[in-house]
Amino acid sequence: MTMIETTGRLRGLLRGLSLACAGLALAATLQGAVAEEVTTIRVLNWEPGGTKYWTELVAAFEKANPDVKVELETVPFDRYPEVQGPYITTKSGPDVMENNAGLELFDRRVAYEPLPADVLDEAKAQLITYSGGCLGFDTTKTCYGLPFGYQGNVMYYNKAVLKEAGLDPANPPKTWDEMDAACAKVKAIGKTCLALGLSGIFPAYWDFPEIARNYLTEEDMRAMLSGGLPWTDPKMVNVLKGLASITEKGWANASAPSITMLPDGADIFQSGNAAFAGTIISDAVNWSAFGAALGDENVGAMRWPTLVADAPLAQSFSGIESSVFGVTSWSSKKEAAFKFVKFMASTENATLLSTVAGGISLNKNVDPASLPKSEALSQILEIIKKPTLHSGVLLSGQEADALARGWQEVALGRLTVDDWTARMQAALEASPSKR
Amino acid sequence: MSVRTSPVAAAAPAMPARSALFGASALGRWLVTLLLTVLAVATLYPLFFTLLTSLKSRSDFAQNPLGFTADLTLDNYVAAFERMNVPRLLLNSVVTTAGGLLISTVAALFLAYAVTKLRIRGGNLIFLFIIAMLVIPSQVIIYPLYETILTFGMGGTYQGLIFTYAAFGLPLGTYLLAAYFRAVPDDLIEAARLDGAGELRILFSIMLPVSLPAIAAISILNFVWMWNDLLLPLVIMGGSDNKTLMVGVSLLSGQYDVSIPLVSAGLVIALAPVVLVYFVFQRQILSGAIAGAVR
Amino acid sequence: MVAASPAAAPPRVRKTSRKRPLMRRELLIGILFVLPGLALAILFKLVPLIRGFVLSLYETRGFEDPTFAGLANYRRMIADPAVADSFRNALVAFATLPVWIVLPLVLAFLIFQRSPGWTIFRAAFFLPYMIAPIVVGIMFRQILAPEGPLNALLTAVGLAPLAIEWLNGPTSALLSLTAVALWSFFGLGVLTYLSGLATLSEEVLEAARLDGAGFWRMLVSIVIPLLKPVIGYWTVLCTSGILIWMFPLIYALTRGGPGSATVLPEYLVFTTTFQFLDRGTGAAIGMALFVFVALVSALVVKRMYAEGKAKAR
Repeated sequence: MTMIETTGRLRGLLRGLSLACAGLALAATLQGAVAEEVTTIRVLNWEPGGTKYWTELVAAFEKANPDVKVELETVPFDRYPEVQGPYITTKSGPDVMENNAGLELFDRRVAYEPLPADVLDEAKAQLITYSGGCLGFDTTKTCYGLPFGYQGNVMYYNKAVLKEAGLDPANPPKTWDEMDAACAKVKAIGKTCLALGLSGIFPAYWDFPEIARNYLTEEDMRAMLSGGLPWTDPKMVNVLKGLASITEKGWANASAPSITMLPDGADIFQSGNAAFAGTIISDAVNWSAFGAALGDENVGAMRWPTLVADAPLAQSFSGIESSVFGVTSWSSKKEAAFKFVKFMASTENATLLSTVAGGISLNKNVDPASLPKSEALSQILEIIKKPTLHSGVLLSGQEADALARGWQEVALGRLTVDDWTARMQAALEASPSKR
Repeated sequence: MSVRTSPVAAAAPAMPARSALFGASALGRWLVTLLLTVLAVATLYPLFFTLLTSLKSRSDFAQNPLGFTADLTLDNYVAAFERMNVPRLLLNSVVTTAGGLLISTVAALFLAYAVTKLRIRGGNLIFLFIIAMLVIPSQVIIYPLYETILTFGMGGTYQGLIFTYAAFGLPLGTYLLAAYFRAVPDDLIEAARLDGAGELRILFSIMLPVSLPAIAAISILNFVWMWNDLLLPLVIMGGSDNKTLMVGVSLLSGQYDVSIPLVSAGLVIALAPVVLVYFVFQRQILSGAIAGAVR
Repeated sequence: MVAASPAAAPPRVRKTSRKRPLMRRELLIGILFVLPGLALAILFKLVPLIRGFVLSLYETRGFEDPTFAGLANYRRMIADPAVADSFRNALVAFATLPVWIVLPLVLAFLIFQRSPGWTIFRAAFFLPYMIAPIVVGIMFRQILAPEGPLNALLTAVGLAPLAIEWLNGPTSALLSLTAVALWSFFGLGVLTYLSGLATLSEEVLEAARLDGAGFWRMLVSIVIPLLKPVIGYWTVLCTSGILIWMFPLIYALTRGGPGSATVLPEYLVFTTTFQFLDRGTGAAIGMALFVFVALVSALVVKRMYAEGKAKAR
C-alpha cells in the first residue's frame, strides 16, 4: 500500500517537474511559431552515406521548404533496433523514420503511415524502382516509404594479386570451377583467395543472395518472403551446399568463422593480402574505398562466379534499395514529414548522394556526368543493368542468424549441411513474420 | 575487526616500506616483479594500441593493424572534432554521469546506514531487495524501462538518464557501504547518540570518513560504466541533442563504414576525462590521510 | 511449542518497552533514510521488471499488438535447445569465478606490500576497465587470430602446441571471451581490494610480520579474514559481471560465435528481442536469467554476507 502511495506521490512530483519543463518548452515553441509558422520534424536515421551528406541534405531540404525545420535524431546503425523498438511499442517519438527495405520494413509497418497518392506519383516520376518500400515488393500494394540509393552485392578483385599469382587480371573467373583453379594459384603465392568473415548479418546479406541466384527464380524468392518455400526444398539445400563449398574448398582465410566481414574481412582485402572479396556497391567497402586503399587501377568488380551458368538469374544483379524513409503513424506533422520523404526521392538529393557521398542513386534524372570516374565503377554500372530481387533481405532475423552460425560450424567441420538445413527450417518456423 | 575500534589511532604513515616481507629471497622478488611487469604490459598495451591506431591513416591500419607505421597523422582527431559537437556532448556526459553518481552515492549512504545501524524492521529485507535489483539484466527491462520513463515524461531528458543511472548504480554502492558500516562497532554509535548526536551527524561525521575508500572505489566503478554505457543513454536520449559523448563516438562508425582509426580517435577523446578522474581518485583511495582517518 | 513461547516472550517485551521512544524515532528516521534509494530501485528497476514479466506472458509477433498467451513463451523457451546451450555456456564461464576473486586479491596485496614498481602497477592495472568494449573486441580479434601475434609469440618461445585457433574452437572461444572479460575487469578488483586494505590496521600486520609470517600466510590468515566483506562484495560484482554484463564484449568480440559457442543468456535475450522481434520470448528468457542469477548470487551473498556480519559483531 505505502509503496504504491509513495510511487504515486513521487510520480506526481516528477510530473510537476516535467510539466514545468514542458511549459517552458511550449513557450519557446510558441514564440518561434508566431515568428515564422515553422514546423519542426524529427527524423530518426543512421546517416546512410555519412555525416557530410546529411548536413548538406538537410540544408538543401530546408532551403527548398522554408516552412519545415528538420531535427535529425541520428543513432548508430548497430544499435538502431534498440532505439527504434521502444519508440514503436510506445507509439511515440520521431515523425520520419528509416528502415532497410524488405522484411525489416514490412515487420514494422504498423509504425508507418501508408504513402499518399501525391508522394507515390513523385516516386513514379523520379525513381527507377521503389518496390522495396511496398508490401511484398509489389508497387500495387500498400507502400510505406521511399528509397533514395541503390545497394547490392558484387565481388571485387585485386588485379595486382591476380597478376602475381599468374592469372589474367582482364579475365577474372566466371564459374565456380574457374574460381577454384584461381584460388589454387593465389594460395600458392601465400595469399588468401577470398577474404571472408562469417559473423553477424554479412553472410545473409552479402553472400547468400549470390549463391541463391543460381538456384532460385523470382517466384521462389517471393515464396521465401511469405514463408512458402521450406529450407528442405532441394533448391534451398543446394544454396546451402554452395555456401558450404566456399569454406570446404579452402578459398577463405582460416579466421573466417570467428571474424566479421566488416571491418576485419574487408581489411584483409584492403591490405592487399587477398585476391577477392564479396562486398557491396554503395556506402563503404566499395569501389571507392578499395580504390583509395589499393589504387584505383588495381581494383576490379565482377559478378560472383556462377555455379549454374544457365540458371535464369545467374547473370543478374541482386539489387535492393539501400534504405527507405517513411512517416510514422503517430506523427502529428504528417504533411511536413511527407515533404521530407518526397525530397529523399528528388533529383536534388540524388545529385548530393552521388557527389557528396559517392553513392549510387535510384533517381532516373540524375546527370551521369556527376559520377566519379573509376574503372570498377563502370564495371558496376554495367552489372546493375540487369537487376533482380535481393534474397538476403527476405530472410527473417532468425534465418539470418541461423545462416551465419550454421555456416561458421560447417566451416569448422562441426556441422553437416543436412543438420544446417534442419536448423534453417526451425528458424523459419520460429520467425514471427513468416509464421 | 576489534582492531578498528579507535577512530583516532595514531596517524602512522599508511604504508611503510614492506619489501622485507618478501623475505631474503631476491629471486622471489624478481619473479614477482617480472610477473607484475608482464601483467602491466598486457594492461597498458590496449591503451597504447588505441592511441597508436588513432594516429594511423585508414589504409595504414588495414596494412598493419598491430605494428608501428612511419607516418602518423592527426587527421582522425580533426575529423572526430568536425563530426562531433564535442563541448556539447562532453557537457551532456558530465551532467548525466555526475548527477547519476551523486544521487546514487547519497541514496546508497542513507540506505546502507539505515539497514546496518538503525534497528528498523525489515532492514535486512530491504537490503536484500536492493541487492536483488543488481542482477536484473538490462537487456530484459529496456522496453519496460523506456515505457516507465515516458510515463514520467522524462524521455530524452537529463533527469531521465540521471535517475536511471542512479538506480542502476545503487545496489553495488549500498552493498559495499553496508560492508564498511558493519565494521563500525555499534557501541561507538551508541556512545555518540548518548552524547546527543543526531543520526545525520553520526552518518556524516563518523560513518562517512570510515567509508571514504569505499566511496572512492564505488565512484570510480560507477563513473566508468556510466561514462562508457551505450544502452541506457541510447534508449533514453535516442539521438537527441542530449546524447552522451560515448553515443557520439559510436556514431563515428556508419552503417557499413567502420573506420577503426577514426573511432579510436573518438575513444581517446572520450577516455581523457576518465583517465583524469581516475588519477585524481586513486590517490585519494590510497593516500595516508584517509587510511589514517579510518584507524 | 506451548511451553517454549512464554519463556521466550518476556525478554523481548522488556527490551522493546525499554527502548520504545527511541525505536519510534529511529523508525521514522529509518523510513526517511531508505526512502530515496527504495524509490529509485522500485521506480526504475522493479516496475520495469514487473512490466517485463507481464510481457513474458504475451505472444508478440513483430510489432503487432501482443496477445495474452499464458506460459506459452516459457514452454517455447524450455523446448529451445539454444536456451539450454546458453545457460550451459554461462555455467562454464561462471566456473572461472575463483580466478576472478583470487587473482586481483593477490595482486592487490602485492601492491599494498609496496612490491618494487608498485605505483606503476597500481595505475596500470585499472586501465583495461576504462577501455570501451568496441576497441577491446577489435584488438583481441587481431591478437587471437590464427596467424596473430599471440600465436607468433607462443611459437617463437617454443610453445607451438599451445598456438591454437583461439576463437574458432567451441571451448577455447568461450574461455577466450571469459579471459578477455577478466582482463578488462581485474583492475577494478585490485582497486576494490586496495580500498579495503587501506582500512586494515597497521599493528595487526606488524605483529604478524614480527611473528615471521610470510606473504602467503599473512594473506590467508590475516588479510582474507579481515577483508571478507569486501571479498563478498567483489564476488557478487563478479557474478553479475560474468552472467549479465558480458553483452558489450560478446557483441564486440564474437557475436556469440562460432556457432553458439559464446552465446550467453543475456546475448540470447538481445537477439530474441531486437533481431528476432520476439519480445515475449525474449522477456521469458530474461526472467529465467534473472531468477538464475538471483539464485547464484543468493548462494554467494548468503555465504559471504553471513560470515562478514558474524565477524563484524
